[in-house]
Amino acid sequence: MFSQQVITQLSNGLKQLLENCDPVDAALIATVDGHMVTMEQRGNYLLERLATMGCSIMSLGDTITSELKMGICNNIISENELGIIIFMHINDDVVLVSLTTQKNALGMLLTHSKKCAQDLKTLVN
Amino acid sequence: MKEIKLVFTGSMGAGKTTAISAISEIPVINTDVRTIGEDAQYKKTTTAAMDYGELTLDDGNKLRLYGTPGQERFQYMWPIIIKGALGLIILVDDANSHPLKDLALFINYFRDHINKIPTVVGITRRDLEQGPNIQEYHDYLHKEGLKLPIFSIDARQRDNIILMIQALTAMVEFN
Repeated sequence: MFSQQVITQLSNGLKQLLENCDPVDAALIATVDGHMVTMEQRGNYLLERLATMGCSIMSLGDTITSELKMGICNNIISENELGIIIFMHINDDVVLVSLTTQKNALGMLLTHSKKCAQDLKTLVN
Repeated sequence: MKEIKLVFTGSMGAGKTTAISAISEIPVINTDVRTIGEDAQYKKTTTAAMDYGELTLDDGNKLRLYGTPGQERFQYMWPIIIKGALGLIILVDDANSHPLKDLALFINYFRDHINKIPTVVGITRRDLEQGPNIQEYHDYLHKEGLKLPIFSIDARQRDNIILMIQALTAMVEFN
């Protein structure tokens, strides 16, 4: 779907996200039909499955938002006992998933992930 | 009035979303996304999470119709969707390159459920005459020690789906 050059640029964008925001433990880009495009992480997470699950979650979010006539689903936040995961569209074709194990880092994770998604949008459009 | 949860499963393109859409009395809730990768050559869209529709039978029983995603990479959705189901419909795309392998995948995955809840098999796209004959599907199931009703259906035809559903719900009633 994307050239190697674009994938490298997307990967660099994720690296920048991890550099700019310490709490981010991992981030990935997946197609809306569940294929991993690229990922970056500090830990040792199995992110391939998260790429597919992220697309399911995002599609459910889109469906629910559409059902309630609330416009476009911007992002989905999963706050958990041991961390936070955020799912958001970069554009209609790809999704950004980012996560942190710091429970108090929701604001930072959300702000930096949104900025990252906006920056990457120009690459994938 | 009873509520009966039925699950449609099967490989990508077998007609799960189409079948639910053909019989649902409510606008179907679906999670279709554009296919981006190699699947795009087969289908323009695919189910990423689930489909949901409803159908009220003449006897007043309400069917809650759920569809699973077809691709194996979405397998984590299958146990979530099958939970609480009283009947299972496995759809097989007869025009796919290996329909018996497709059937085997879903028989193997849902074997524990098949042993407990009524299950039927629907073979779609038979009109293209590319796949095995119906007897070969029966032979495969027999080899697996299963006696499941097999229906040759057009997933777009409401009557075809209703007939299969009626058979399944009758099995549910007697289960």
